[in-house]
Amino acid sequence: MPDNAVYYHIAYIAAAVIYGVYAISLYLRRRRLHAR
Amino acid sequence: MKPTPLSIAAAVGIVATYIRAIYFTPFEAIQGPAQKIFYIHAPSAWVAFLAFGVVGFTSVLYLWLRDDRLDRVAESSAEVGLVFTTVVLITGPLWGKPIWGTYWTWDARLTLTLFLWFIFVAYIVLRGAVEDRSMRARYSAVLGILGALLVPFIHLSVYMFRTLHPKPILMKPDAPSLPPEMLTTVLLAFGTFTLLYVALLRARYRYAVERDGAHPEESYNAG
Repeated sequence: MPDNAVYYHIAYIAAAVIYGVYAISLYLRRRRLHAR
Repeated sequence: MKPTPLSIAAAVGIVATYIRAIYFTPFEAIQGPAQKIFYIHAPSAWVAFLAFGVVGFTSVLYLWLRDDRLDRVAESSAEVGLVFTTVVLITGPLWGKPIWGTYWTWDARLTLTLFLWFIFVAYIVLRGAVEDRSMRARYSAVLGILGALLVPFIHLSVYMFRTLHPKPILMKPDAPSLPPEMLTTVLLAFGTFTLLYVALLRARYRYAVERDGAHPEESYNAG
């Protein structure tokens, strides 16, 4: 079996970071809107 | 994004999908561990297509009914779809490198997906550039419909062109060609990623409603 686990680890981390950062950006945009 | 029962359910579902994919799904014998990228790549692609389909559908309805709520759904779905497409365009090359030997190749499926990403980046930029709300909604509805028309071509591109990208193993007329353990993980991933889409769409829509309520002058209709 090929040893290519690093690609799958990077992909899983990248996806989690992108979805997480987007969810946080929604929270921050809404908070900034309320602060105005 | 404020925690709601829906967003909590989506987050728990995604964590459960990760745990199942990483610890309870066997490695594929030929591709090895890299094949597990499939469990986030394919559901993200499905949700991206769903999101842009929603953009196209609500944009058609907006041009017909001129209801601002439809414009907000289209705007929200386009942004969320762009996030999912970004994940597709990052995880795809990470899967391609160990299996195809290259991160990127200009074949039909990959190139059309990149075009789709650019179209919806342009959609977001367009919305930021047009100040008049009615004009912004009309222009972006037209672009949203044109972008959504690309989705069926991308899905069918693996049948229409010679391509490195594998044909669908789940979203096809025949039965899915996967062992049961892998199929369960894929179905869980499709369900939880769809739930994540609904949660993000709802949060983005609520933001759009509050933004328009806070700045009613932007709602001025000069069209």
